[in-house]
Amino acid sequence: MLRIYQRLWQVNWAEQWQYRANLLMYLLYWLVSPIVYLAVWTTVAKSQSSVNGLTANDFVTYYLTLLVVDTLTTDITIHVLAYKIQDGTLSAELLKPIHPILTSTLINNLAFKMLMLMVMIPVWLGLALLFQPDFGAVTPLSLLLAIPAVVLGMGISFLLGATMTCVAFWTTRVYAINEFYWAIIVLFAGKFVPLSLMPPVVQQLARFLPFQFFDYLPIQIILGRLPPDEILRSFGMGVVWFGLALALFLAVWRSGLKRFSAVGA
Amino acid sequence: MFIFKLLATLVKLNVQQELAYRVDAVINILVNLMWLGWELLSLSIIFSNTATLGGWGPGEMIALLGVFRLVNMLMAALIWPNTERFNTGVRDGSLDYVFLQPVNSLFMISFSRIIFWRVWDLVLATVLLVVGVNMSGVGASPYNVFSFLLLVTSGAAILYSLWIVLIAFTFWFTKFDNNVTILQALLDTGRYPAQVYPLWLRLIVTFVVPIAVATTVPLQALRGDLSGWQVLMFLGVSVVSVLVALRVWKAGVQRYSGASS
Repeated sequence: MLRIYQRLWQVNWAEQWQYRANLLMYLLYWLVSPIVYLAVWTTVAKSQSSVNGLTANDFVTYYLTLLVVDTLTTDITIHVLAYKIQDGTLSAELLKPIHPILTSTLINNLAFKMLMLMVMIPVWLGLALLFQPDFGAVTPLSLLLAIPAVVLGMGISFLLGATMTCVAFWTTRVYAINEFYWAIIVLFAGKFVPLSLMPPVVQQLARFLPFQFFDYLPIQIILGRLPPDEILRSFGMGVVWFGLALALFLAVWRSGLKRFSAVGA
Repeated sequence: MFIFKLLATLVKLNVQQELAYRVDAVINILVNLMWLGWELLSLSIIFSNTATLGGWGPGEMIALLGVFRLVNMLMAALIWPNTERFNTGVRDGSLDYVFLQPVNSLFMISFSRIIFWRVWDLVLATVLLVVGVNMSGVGASPYNVFSFLLLVTSGAAILYSLWIVLIAFTFWFTKFDNNVTILQALLDTGRYPAQVYPLWLRLIVTFVVPIAVATTVPLQALRGDLSGWQVLMFLGVSVVSVLVALRVWKAGVQRYSGASS
């Protein structure tokens, strides 16, 4: 099994390495909205010295960390899988004796993330020079603790994203439906603003939803803003959500496949 | 008046095409409304934490959102779909047929594809603009409204000429099918006033990819922040940029060799 993953990694890496210039362009999309929000909130924080206890530097470190965490947790499954379901090319992958999503699509995702991260390093350093963040609160321990949070975030995001893509088995309007899903993520993950500034209702809901693993929780852990018992509680919840997401994906995938008629076969 | 008849025909063709997918249009409008809800929520979150954002109050921000949606509509209804068509045309050679037609090639490239349901955004943008201006309590004089309209038009003209230059580059660098990515990526900066951004970003969105010229600047005119000279200057810049863009386009077309022949 490990050999299979290793091979798939080599193939996907080589395949995507060709498009590294394009990646730089994708990166632009990725960068703009966090930087816009960063600018908006530092302006607010500077005009009144702090927002709800958050200083300008807190916002700068939040969004700069978000750039990295978000690259790791964002899921691109819909872009690499939905069209295969729609035009029937999925059938070729179904013939292989491995699960097409949990192997090749997953590895494709990971290779994409690694490349994005590599392209991002110089850009990130440039931004750090421009914004002069003070990362004094980050310790080796907080970085270490963030690893399981990021891994859980990646896993849940991938499984839920794959589930949303499987909607393509039932309807051709999978992209429109995905936008609603995306809006929920934007609301509950903390992409726009640290969740602590959201309306109380949103905050209460977000505490129990898996989306905070996509951005907010890992960032808070990295920046050392979460007490140990909170971290432990969230890990427990993350594991539960991971299990739920896996079960949901497997169920939707199985019933979707039954409907799949392989257009063009 | 031939050109208007042609435009009417193109609109008719595109509407017919869209009518085949009525449900999709309705769903798209719903998605669009959902994002409007999100945009208003994000403004309310901002203003529950502060009274002004870089000197702009809630009403002014809603008006800015209106102007942004107007620009965004022009992009989504015309520019992006036509770019896609153009890039395909360069790659497979079907662009040859555009040049063979006895019509201005730039006209055909800009208006062949129209995503018609986006016109809905025009309604939303107007409502946002009127509500926002009323909320802000800026008693806009007729002169200010007039210069606002002038500057929205000139801002759109500047962005359009930038687009022409970007796609014309494809004639020199055939593999340049990322030609409009920078425009698409930076468009979102138009949601907030340029005064909020750090200097380097403000310079980019004003001079390099002048999104702010089509969003922030017209609203400043509506608020009466701009002098007559400044308005004239922006108009002058738009005329010059259109002229330059047309020159670049012409030079590019002369280099075009066609992928099919």
